[in-house]
Amino acid sequence: MSQDNGRSGLTRRQLIQGMGAASTLPLLGGVAPFAIGNQSAGRVVVIGGGFGGATAAKYLKRANPAIDVTMVEPAEVFYTCPFSNLFLGGLRELNAIAHGYDELRGRYGVKVIHAMAEDVDPDGHRVSLSNSDTLDYDRLVLSPGIDIRWDALEGYDEAAAEKAPHSWKAGPQTELLKRQLEGMDDGGTFVMVAPENPFRCPPGPYERASMVAHYFTQHKPNAKVLILDAKDNFSKQGLFTAGWEQLYGDRIEWVGLSNDGRVTRVDANNLEVETEFGTRHQADVLNVIPPQKAGWIADRAGVTDDSGWVPVKAETFESQRVNDIHVVGDATVATPMPKSGFCANAQAKVVAAAIAATLEGSTAPDPYWANTCYSLIGPEYGISVAGVYRVQDGVIASVEGAGGLSPTDAPEATRALEAEYAVGWYNAICQDTWGTEA
Amino acid sequence: MTRAIQPPTPTAWLSTLLLSIGLVQASLAEDTSTDEPYSSQQLAVLAGNCASCHGTDGRLAGAVPAIAGRPASALESRLLSFKRDEIADTTIMDRIAKGYSDEELAALATHFASIDKQ
Ligand SMILES: Cc1cc2nc3c(=O)[nH]c(=O)nc-3n(C[C@H](O)[C@H](O)[C@H](O)COP(=O)(O)OP(=O)(O)OC[C@H]3O[C@@H](n4cnc5c(N)ncnc54)[C@H](O)[C@@H]3O)c2cc1C
Repeated sequence: MSQDNGRSGLTRRQLIQGMGAASTLPLLGGVAPFAIGNQSAGRVVVIGGGFGGATAAKYLKRANPAIDVTMVEPAEVFYTCPFSNLFLGGLRELNAIAHGYDELRGRYGVKVIHAMAEDVDPDGHRVSLSNSDTLDYDRLVLSPGIDIRWDALEGYDEAAAEKAPHSWKAGPQTELLKRQLEGMDDGGTFVMVAPENPFRCPPGPYERASMVAHYFTQHKPNAKVLILDAKDNFSKQGLFTAGWEQLYGDRIEWVGLSNDGRVTRVDANNLEVETEFGTRHQADVLNVIPPQKAGWIADRAGVTDDSGWVPVKAETFESQRVNDIHVVGDATVATPMPKSGFCANAQAKVVAAAIAATLEGSTAPDPYWANTCYSLIGPEYGISVAGVYRVQDGVIASVEGAGGLSPTDAPEATRALEAEYAVGWYNAICQDTWGTEA
Repeated sequence: MTRAIQPPTPTAWLSTLLLSIGLVQASLAEDTSTDEPYSSQQLAVLAGNCASCHGTDGRLAGAVPAIAGRPASALESRLLSFKRDEIADTTIMDRIAKGYSDEELAALATHFASIDKQ
């Protein structure tokens, strides 16, 4: 871990600032023992209150309640992308994917500020907010999730997203897509544009296609789903394909890269897309999942690389570029870990432990991470992919022999159990992250 | 594979001071135990992954069972059986348990056994 040019987690200025007025201890060597006056064990600012950010804030406080933790998140209600596909499929209400910050505030004593972080000054260790406040930190945690690359797909800008929603951040975009599906004539076609890797939630588009197909079986028996994909392979492909055939027959059509599936132009006004080789597809409802990058605040902090994502040190998820800034979740390059809520939550716990140890001057524990991504193909048909990860030779590696996919030949009872466990997982991770009691 | 995070100099100095004058956090004090194979911080990180499906501290009961407060021996033998593919209707825990050594599984079992059910 780099501590270049003598900069440490706590600057002298910060140490002195942190010293409470009541402290009567003499200055030793010119440095004030900051923790004695106000009992603070260091200041951590967390940007983002999603899977990574909320978990980091909670687990920092669990590691050491004396750490001063401030979390910055504009939304008072967070809608999860996980299970937003179930909302589209009619299996869940929107309020069943909504979460708040009462536990963080009330039970753990995290300061939650509903504002946007607008800039980060890594040298001054300072974050400025949209409400004109500034926050000083000893360590900063960034978990800003993704942003859409509005310049990456011809015709797909923010205005286009109001007609052809991406719904890749949950909330109003998800509701818009739901309304469009409900308003669509029976016999219409739902066209989904799926991106190249890497992107948030590798199995997400295919779960969404499944849930839309389920909704059609209930409400629009003659409607179709067409997936135009910029890839030739996708997550859990064999399991999805088998499940689609079993539950939906030929309702879902998938066109991969080699069959001219890559969309290069979007005409949102006419709900039309054009592929690489000039094929045009007309949609009745158009869902464009565009190329993505790390949330823009990561650029401001100077932690992203040319790919638009954030390279991190494997052990601590500290930025490879800027000291004292740890980044978790979708914004990071953490392969072989996928960009999942599960991984964001797991990474945040390791970062919390590493920061707590660093602030105490002790050794960070070895990292352990795991992931399980459930996908629902139907209400009683669940599949999963799992992984267990550690650091090997300085990089994140999957533990050999662990993890992997649901079996291809599983009986219906197993699929039904996995659908139940998917709900159990959702309830647990939301309890673990936001304290929500299902 | 333990990797030391270089303590920032003033903090390290400060910790020493705090230790010497006895104003130390309880959590810091736990760090000094040497007889257990895993520090409490290490156990927290190991066990953190379980919470994503079993709830914080393994206390959430539902489709996925709570694991807090169960006898250590029962938890350990269950985990080892998952790892060895000895439980017929398993969906996921076989894939997860294979990622951990027997010692790690035993430590997890003891850890969750020691947590109150609530
Ligand atoms: C359709 C779909 C289905 C999915 N299903 C699953 C699933 O079943 N399982 C699973 O594990 N994962 C799933 N995911 C992936 C999951 O949503 C992401 O991996 C997860 O949200 C990543 O967490 P994060 O903390 O990186 O980002 P987020 O959870 O998106 O949180 C980022 C937060 O940061 C805030 N923020 C951004 N910039 C700033 C700023 N400048 N100042 C302050 N706050 C800021 C945002 O408001 C946001 O609340 C799915 C995703 C999609 C799209």
